[in-house]
Amino acid sequence: MSIVANLPRRTLSLSEEEAARPVAMHLTGRQRLSSEERTLSEKIFEEFRSDPRHHEFVLGCLNCGECTTGCPAARFYDFSPREMLQIAANGDATTLWDAMQEKIWACCQCYTCNMRCRFGNDIAGIISVMRELSVYHGLEATRRTLAPFGRSLTLLMTVGTQVSSDMIQPDFFRDWGPFATGSDKVWQVGADVMRRAIPTDVLQTTRSAWEVSVQTSLELFRIYEETGVLDMLRGLDPDLTEMLVDIIEERREEFQEARERFADEIAGMKGPVATFQG
Amino acid sequence: MLTANEIRKVVAERTAHQRGTGKKVVDVREEMEHLEEKGEIIIHRIRAVNRPVELHTLFGWTKQIPTDRLWHHKSCGQCGNIPGYPSSLLWLMNETGRTYLNEPHQTSCTAWNYHGTATSNPVALAAVAARNFHRAYETDHFPLIHCGTSYGDYKEMRKLLVENATVRTKVRDVLRKMGRDLVIPEEIVHYSEWVHAMTPELVARQKLPLSGVIATVHEPCHYYKMVPEDAVYDEAVYSGQRPAVPSGILMALGATVADYSTWYDCCGFGFRHILSEREFSRSFANLRKIRPMIEEAHADVAITSDTGCVTTLDKSQWIGKTHGLEYMLPVLSDVQFAALALGAHPYKIAQVHWHSSSAERLMTKMGIDWQAAKAEFREYLKALQSGAQPELLHPAHGEIEKFFAINKGQVLPDEAVTPAAPTATSGAGPGGRS
Repeated sequence: MSIVANLPRRTLSLSEEEAARPVAMHLTGRQRLSSEERTLSEKIFEEFRSDPRHHEFVLGCLNCGECTTGCPAARFYDFSPREMLQIAANGDATTLWDAMQEKIWACCQCYTCNMRCRFGNDIAGIISVMRELSVYHGLEATRRTLAPFGRSLTLLMTVGTQVSSDMIQPDFFRDWGPFATGSDKVWQVGADVMRRAIPTDVLQTTRSAWEVSVQTSLELFRIYEETGVLDMLRGLDPDLTEMLVDIIEERREEFQEARERFADEIAGMKGPVATFQG
Repeated sequence: MLTANEIRKVVAERTAHQRGTGKKVVDVREEMEHLEEKGEIIIHRIRAVNRPVELHTLFGWTKQIPTDRLWHHKSCGQCGNIPGYPSSLLWLMNETGRTYLNEPHQTSCTAWNYHGTATSNPVALAAVAARNFHRAYETDHFPLIHCGTSYGDYKEMRKLLVENATVRTKVRDVLRKMGRDLVIPEEIVHYSEWVHAMTPELVARQKLPLSGVIATVHEPCHYYKMVPEDAVYDEAVYSGQRPAVPSGILMALGATVADYSTWYDCCGFGFRHILSEREFSRSFANLRKIRPMIEEAHADVAITSDTGCVTTLDKSQWIGKTHGLEYMLPVLSDVQFAALALGAHPYKIAQVHWHSSSAERLMTKMGIDWQAAKAEFREYLKALQSGAQPELLHPAHGEIEKFFAINKGQVLPDEAVTPAAPTATSGAGPGGRS
């Protein structure tokens, strides 16, 4: 017997109903979204549920909350891996859309939730799938979230490393203190000298984590072209993408010139060095 | 959520596999053998020249750890802002007579970016992994992974490449366009596993007693939470209840490894957070990790074995003074700590000056005359500034290698590859770059 069904009720007056409408609209997510957003959210939801990884990563949920009790992000954000898993398993287009506006970016990707999950769910993995879709569709919230990453994305796409010592500038990393940058204030020499004091030539650069050969960086860019990463990035930041294409074109020219310059040395060598054309 | 029929299918497949193999979890290495038989992949074998040592994983599986003729798969974060991490490892290899390649022909795994910004996808990640695997293979040096995230990512990619024929085909097609083939190493090996395998040799070369040093260990999440069954465990370390690395080497060197309540927590790195939301990273690192290490364990040093963990735990402390958290606990990687114990120069080799939390108090406790070493390093910097040539751990690369991933005739030998007989440990030979 339902207790709620037997509670006393009264019908709302017209004025009460009118006053309640905006609140109701706010609470029911579908009506909050513009028609374009509704269409896009449904498309994303369909892609999400049909991604082969969905069936592999989302196996079920006991609602035990072990994932959330170990989650570092849950301590500081309005975020819960259990909620993300529930959305992945039982949510709809709107709940997924809402999560993709901000919450999915709180996850630390530490995999603690995965390790603790009795069901063997890959919660960090399914959050990554949500993130991929938000990037692929160039959601405005995603653009805002990833706006600070232009420099590291440039490094990543052109040489395949994500950090360089010249990124750790005192203006941006004041909270790391005076020692983190090998600062000239501490050692009275420039950053280039500090890098030359590292006892391996490969690391003696300030512009990348290590020196990356031109062939290696071109092979990487070929991977990005062939696997859709470049197109994905174009959807997120077309200007950055065009700049990257220009950089790589210059490197391809540099590579061809080097082929002529070192023709004698590489003649007779086997493997990719002989066949890769940039 | 899976439908009832789909759940039945998964259960039926698992049951069939368990009946057939007697195992509850698939050992992906067995599947690799089948794929190689079918000509789908090439397995990069660990051979006798790699002088392997046998260790055990969480599930009791054996894992061959090659200790020689290694291809250093560097970490972008280590090389970018904590370069004493890789230089200490190279130094230890020289000291123990191990040969290696440290090349400019490697990309990072790109997984920091993927876990931070998701501007990639599994096929791209798998292709990047396979491209680096092939480069190691064509030089006939076995890949040694420096970063915990690269290690975890490469194990995920190995699984993906083995289990998913579509991804395998796509990746192989991409690789062939650059003259490469689909190679998967017989084992994915983290450098800390090399350290564990080399423990007897490292301890034999120890110069400084560490009995007065209290160390707390932060276990890198991506070492043991991403693909748990493959992480190395040892009954002598926490009775096999926690990963053997990096605690094992600290215990062997005589340091007191002290426990603390939040050992299982992540460091707060967060990939994206450490760059663009550091208020989270530093709050978590200081409150959940550094404070318990100090207040519960009275640590002299925090030791870990991953890029992001050293970065977060170390760099986050300086700002703590604004909230009265003036800990400044030194944070080092296991190889920096071990190198110092074996007599490495604290600035030229361990490069401790890149760390935000000073290691000077720790070095005093270790018996290192760091003032003299610091003065010497200042003179060295002045000399470099005046145009002196830097001291290197291995010969510099030639001009041609700025452009080409040359193979120096090392394209894999034609001789039959025979699996190596593992040893408990092996003697030293000439070290340095192959």
